[in-house]
Amino acid sequence: MSNTTPATHSAATEPPDPSSPRRNSKRPKYSRFTQQELPACKPILTPRWVISAFMLVTIVFVPIGLASLFASRDVVEIVNRYDDECAPSGSRNDKVRFIQSNADKTCNRTLTVPKHMKKPIYVYYQLDNFYQNHRRYVKSRSDQQLRSRNKENDISTCKPEDTVNGTTIVPCGLVAWSMFNDTFSFSINNNGQLPVSKKDISWKSDRDHKFGKDVFPKNFQNGTLIGGAHLNESIPLSAQEDLIVWMRTAALPTFRKLYGKIEVDLKAGDTINVVLKNNYNTYSFSGKKKLVLSTASWLGGKNNFIGIAYLAVGGLCFVLAMTFTVIYLVKPRRLGDPSYLSWNRSPGGH
Amino acid sequence: MKGWRGSRQGGDSASSPVAVERSLTSSSSIRLGRVQPQAPGHRTVFCNDRDANHLAKYKGNAVSTTKYNVITFLPKGLYEQFRRVANLYFLTISCLSFTPVSPVSPITNVIPLSLVLFVSLVKEAFEDWKRLQNDMTINNSCVDVLQEQRWESIPWKKLQVGDIVRVKQDGFFPADLLLLASTNPDGVCYTETANLDGETNLKIRKALEKTWDYVAPEKASEFKGEIQCEQPNNSLYTFTGNLILQKQTIPIGPNQILLRGCNLRNTEYIVGAVIFTGHETKVMMNAMNVPSKRSTLERKLDKVIATLFGVLLCMCLIGAIGSAVFVNKKYHYLELWISGDSQQFNPRNRFVVFVLSIFTLITLYSPIIPISLYVSIEMIKFIQSTKFINNDLHMYHSETNTPALARTSNLNEELGQVEYIFSDKTGTLTRNLMEFFKCSIGGETYGTGVTEIEMGAARRNGLNIKEKTASNTAREKGFNFDDARLMHGAWRNEPNPDMCKEFFRCLAICHTVLPEGEETPEKLRYQAASPDEAALVTAAKNFGFFFYRRTPTMIYVRESHVEKIGKVQDVTYEILNVLEFNSTRKRQSVVCRYGDGRLVLYCKGADTVIYERLASGNDELKKISREQLEQYGEAGLRTLCLAYRNLSPETYESWNEKFIQAKSSLRDRERKLDEVAELIEKDLTLIGCTAIEDKLQEGVPSCIETLSRAGIKIWVLTGDKLETAINIAYACKLINNDMKQFVISSETDAIREVESRGDQVEIAQFIRETVKNELQKCHEEAQHIVHGSTGQKLSLLIDGKCLMYALDPNLRSTLLSLSLSCSSVVCCRVSPLQKAQVTRLVRKGANKITLSIGDGANDVGMIQAAHVGVGISGMEGMQAVMASDFAIAQFRFLTDLLLVHGRWSYLRLCKVVSYFFYKNLTFTLTQFWYTFQTGYSGQRFYDDWFQSLYNVIFTALPVIIVGLLDKDVNASLSKKYPQLYKQGIDNAFFNWKVVGTLACFSVYQSVIVYNFAIASSTTGLTSAGKILGVWDISTAAFTCLVITVNLRLLMMCNTVTRWHSISVGGSILAWFIFIFIYSLVFVNKGTYFTIYVLMSTAYLYLLAILVPIVALLGDFLYQGAQRWFYPYDYQIVQEIHRHEPESIGAGLLEVGNQLTPEEERRYAFALLPRERSKHTGFAFDSPGYESFFATQQGVSAPQKPWDVIRRASMKPKSKSPRTSRH
Repeated sequence: MSNTTPATHSAATEPPDPSSPRRNSKRPKYSRFTQQELPACKPILTPRWVISAFMLVTIVFVPIGLASLFASRDVVEIVNRYDDECAPSGSRNDKVRFIQSNADKTCNRTLTVPKHMKKPIYVYYQLDNFYQNHRRYVKSRSDQQLRSRNKENDISTCKPEDTVNGTTIVPCGLVAWSMFNDTFSFSINNNGQLPVSKKDISWKSDRDHKFGKDVFPKNFQNGTLIGGAHLNESIPLSAQEDLIVWMRTAALPTFRKLYGKIEVDLKAGDTINVVLKNNYNTYSFSGKKKLVLSTASWLGGKNNFIGIAYLAVGGLCFVLAMTFTVIYLVKPRRLGDPSYLSWNRSPGGH
Repeated sequence: MKGWRGSRQGGDSASSPVAVERSLTSSSSIRLGRVQPQAPGHRTVFCNDRDANHLAKYKGNAVSTTKYNVITFLPKGLYEQFRRVANLYFLTISCLSFTPVSPVSPITNVIPLSLVLFVSLVKEAFEDWKRLQNDMTINNSCVDVLQEQRWESIPWKKLQVGDIVRVKQDGFFPADLLLLASTNPDGVCYTETANLDGETNLKIRKALEKTWDYVAPEKASEFKGEIQCEQPNNSLYTFTGNLILQKQTIPIGPNQILLRGCNLRNTEYIVGAVIFTGHETKVMMNAMNVPSKRSTLERKLDKVIATLFGVLLCMCLIGAIGSAVFVNKKYHYLELWISGDSQQFNPRNRFVVFVLSIFTLITLYSPIIPISLYVSIEMIKFIQSTKFINNDLHMYHSETNTPALARTSNLNEELGQVEYIFSDKTGTLTRNLMEFFKCSIGGETYGTGVTEIEMGAARRNGLNIKEKTASNTAREKGFNFDDARLMHGAWRNEPNPDMCKEFFRCLAICHTVLPEGEETPEKLRYQAASPDEAALVTAAKNFGFFFYRRTPTMIYVRESHVEKIGKVQDVTYEILNVLEFNSTRKRQSVVCRYGDGRLVLYCKGADTVIYERLASGNDELKKISREQLEQYGEAGLRTLCLAYRNLSPETYESWNEKFIQAKSSLRDRERKLDEVAELIEKDLTLIGCTAIEDKLQEGVPSCIETLSRAGIKIWVLTGDKLETAINIAYACKLINNDMKQFVISSETDAIREVESRGDQVEIAQFIRETVKNELQKCHEEAQHIVHGSTGQKLSLLIDGKCLMYALDPNLRSTLLSLSLSCSSVVCCRVSPLQKAQVTRLVRKGANKITLSIGDGANDVGMIQAAHVGVGISGMEGMQAVMASDFAIAQFRFLTDLLLVHGRWSYLRLCKVVSYFFYKNLTFTLTQFWYTFQTGYSGQRFYDDWFQSLYNVIFTALPVIIVGLLDKDVNASLSKKYPQLYKQGIDNAFFNWKVVGTLACFSVYQSVIVYNFAIASSTTGLTSAGKILGVWDISTAAFTCLVITVNLRLLMMCNTVTRWHSISVGGSILAWFIFIFIYSLVFVNKGTYFTIYVLMSTAYLYLLAILVPIVALLGDFLYQGAQRWFYPYDYQIVQEIHRHEPESIGAGLLEVGNQLTPEEERRYAFALLPRERSKHTGFAFDSPGYESFFATQQGVSAPQKPWDVIRRASMKPKSKSPRTSRH
């Protein structure tokens, strides 16, 4: 706020009226704000505070960490990579050609349940190295179009998958176009089918609001290049849960998506046969595909990170508290010792 | 043109010696502004004839000082804004964000930018509006103009060149006027120029004899003069022109010109003709934009921002290289693009990928440079200066009713880093308020007052003198004397009443004071060029010799108690001659004739000169008086001796002839006058002597002591004599006897001898050599002492003439290094220019932060040259204040200004600035880490709105609160431990180390925030097994970030007020409110419903606890360890006083120390040197009033009073250019 009033300008601005009262008191009014005397607490980081803060963190964090860790350990998770083995052995080019051909892509996998798995058991597919978070990819979709029929032609953001032969694609864009299309069916111990429920695998808010009940797929996967799954044109988008799941783009290049739920308990030692259709092309970018069966705790799936982090921090704080205590005992400093003032330390020096 | 030349010649040929004198003096012009005077042309003004002037199309009298008008506001205002590099940068980024390379939508950058611009423009508009209102007030104030033989009141803006106006007493001149007539006899009027140059003594203007009669409107309307004069220019002290009246050409000089901005005093009214109007007036031509100063911190800030920009480029480079390298591998879907229009991800053209990626990433990482930084800082500083500095009760001076005033808010934090203070003496350290304190009449000493110096001496000797309570109620200004033996006519009973009578008469008659106002003792005010004089006349009044009226030849004195107690009679004395004071004569005499014809010469002057001229005999009195003089001198008083001589008419007549001869001589007149004066000023009879106290400003010694403990070095730059300066330096505790003093003076016998020979070249060479040798000698000695172990402090005293040579480029470095090793430096007899040069020397040469403080026009140069200029306000002068950055009423308020406000501002701004860097760096780095996970595609991690509101809402307010309210220790402790200030001088809180540490913590915290949020979200996160998408995770991460960053601010605070908690809590809350609404309303955004989804997971809560604590653990550890092992001074002070409750409202009555200012001052005097004073007082230090009498006497004297250089360096002026040129 530079005050660049001309130097002599204000000189000329002296009120020319001499009769104006000259003795108005200009004494500033007292207020705590202007005198900078607002009541304040002045925390001083004394050793006691430091040590107690560390201890407090320890006391709070260790139980949380343990709880989280136990929750994570309770989760039983089966991960099975199948992209390599469900493709004919050979060079990479063969695999790409295979996946793009019309050959039968059925593949059988057998999984063993290591521990008792309580229902519901969630079925995920995991794609590695699939950059769903690439800038071009993320923005190649039209939320307007997904939501409402009236906005069907709102496809400006959908390039390059916006139109085919001059007609609009619904749902448009790369995200929808590249939808995952491997399918899994499960049977247990070579006899009973394990039904996979595909209901309620997406977030309810997405179903209710983001994807329209009156929006039906149109011209989808009709182009020259087929990206992935086809959609049933008679089902509205709000009911296409696989699509909804897929459209919630992942943050990382490696991600899991919910495929379905198995509403049966699995016992330890059970073998599960998976019949899968290996349709989705990850070979062209050497991406891995995995099938994951997992239970869930209150914390979610198997992820030790939070538990370990809490425990580690709690432990670290304990160590720090101890270290500080020792240091303070070894090298104490009286609080407010004037001899620590710089001008007292070096007498006469300034 | 021809006519003008012709008339000019006519003027010359008709000119008396007067005109010659005038034209010569006007050539040595003084300019206030930087603009050079324009090439002389001329203008012709037809007085009282609007039609004739209309052809010339002169500008109107309306002035406008606004920067903008309605139409130009937007383009000009925006242009001003975009001249700032930061704004331009954000404009570029905003433009980039409209292109397809941008990963963010335009709103991300446009919203903050427009907000910042909006705030700045509103501020500009507000300031301009105030200026406009100011202009309107001025333009609409009224003045009387002659219209058809009547005075009509019209607003100033309607005034035109050539109009005849009437200005009444105390009124301001609406334009530059030619003085035609005045109600005073002889066409004289008095003007006060305080608004122009800060000088409060009245200046005399005298109309041309031909125009004296045009006073009444009827007569004035007959006036049909034609004025031919120079074109408008900015030189305040020159004017050349001719008045053509009745076919006669009369030259006009500056003596007839009344300038806009001055006002009329002591004159009922004047009549004048308008010459220059509006923007063409001299004062407006002088109006210039004060170069706006930028603080050192801000310049440092620029460097840091440049560094940040470098970091930004590096980040972009890394990202772009990554993008170019990894572009082909994974993105099968990109194949579809390559045939299309986008080349950004075409693996076959990696160079294009690289270049485009750089633009993408610059847009993405642009928040690394905090956009709201400048506007926040401006806001903080604005509030600091308008609310805190301007309203500080500690800096309110009730006697002059003046609060402190921050005239710019740019330099608040600069106040916290000042290392050198350059101070003027008169009016700054001293009050320039002389008080009659003691006197000695006929060998008897009167006056019961005890000075502080005496008090201190007595105390040291174990005596405890109780201070005499101020019994005599309200003392008059300038009179601090109490002795029952003299007051109320009691002097008649003294042993020597006749002597007393002479003494009082001498005081009442021998002076050049002007009375002003009603002729009663209570209401009359004395206008004197030097306050000493006023004090003496006031003293005479109090003794019953009331001088109340002066005409050019008479002095009227109302004498009481002379014949008998209680009798009052008016007596007139005819003043025959005035022998003026000047610095060589050091005395002043008046020859007067009593009513009964008695002729007396009264003389007053410095003791040395008077004693030389005393008649022989009466040695006893002389001896006693001399002893008393020494006592007075010892007590720190300024002394004068009074003497008289009875003249016989014959002696006088013969002398007077010589005097008149000398007075009318053209060559060497001053010298001749001096010589003639010598003839009569002899055989004097000593009456007695006076002792005047030159009052120091209240609290100056303790203030200086405090400041020097704070590590600030104080230099006194004064126009005074060496001895006076030393006296004051002692009194102010700048110098004491323990110090090694280096004196470099031109007043040595060797130099005088060379000077007397008169060869200018030789003089210059000789002085240069002397100064060079002296400097080198002193420098060597100083180095020896500094490197020695004695720890003796050094001081340097140098006078203006030596300084002139010492500032020579060859010697400058020696001077600088010598003066920097001294803890105090006194430069005396320096000109305003030299003051500025010395300031600049230290500012540029030593690269230290400087502050100049002064009160007068002669300090303007140094005030503008220093980093921070402080003006003393409350006195009537405005010039110094106008040029200053801060105005305070008293020198001692510097303690508050620097140690409290300056230090706090510095601390606060350091915190604010570093916090801004920290928060934006942390934010951007999380973004940066994400880039590696997205295949270097430049995908944003956060939603557009998160990013744009991060700076302006979620983290904006708390930092402003900290910038306003944070304080490490309270105000009284800041003053109690002035050493705390040193950290500002050393710039301990904003250097590269601090920035580096901060950057490390930023990296650490961003890694924690980003990685924790990412790493814990890879699997399903609810018992429903659902997986979170990118927007959910980024929302969670952003939540953690907002909490972390806000809490981190809380950790940085020294004090936590309610407002801190409210703003920090409020900011976090604002984020939640925002996201609750935002994620509900915008269905088409990726963030739709995210927060509700997140809230159904334990993940959010666990993360929101874990991340801030882990992120802040590093800071906490650092702060704890730092405080314990390497505590800052302020932290120790905090600890010492941790149990003391904040004293609210206390300390508003006292300066803050336990001692009252009065006591401190006394204490300071007690520490004065003990040896007997060698020099006995000095009166008449303020030069520049010689002209008055000369004018009154009809003797032409050059128009000098405004001559600022003269004011400061009197000695060289005594050999004025006028005499040397002939």
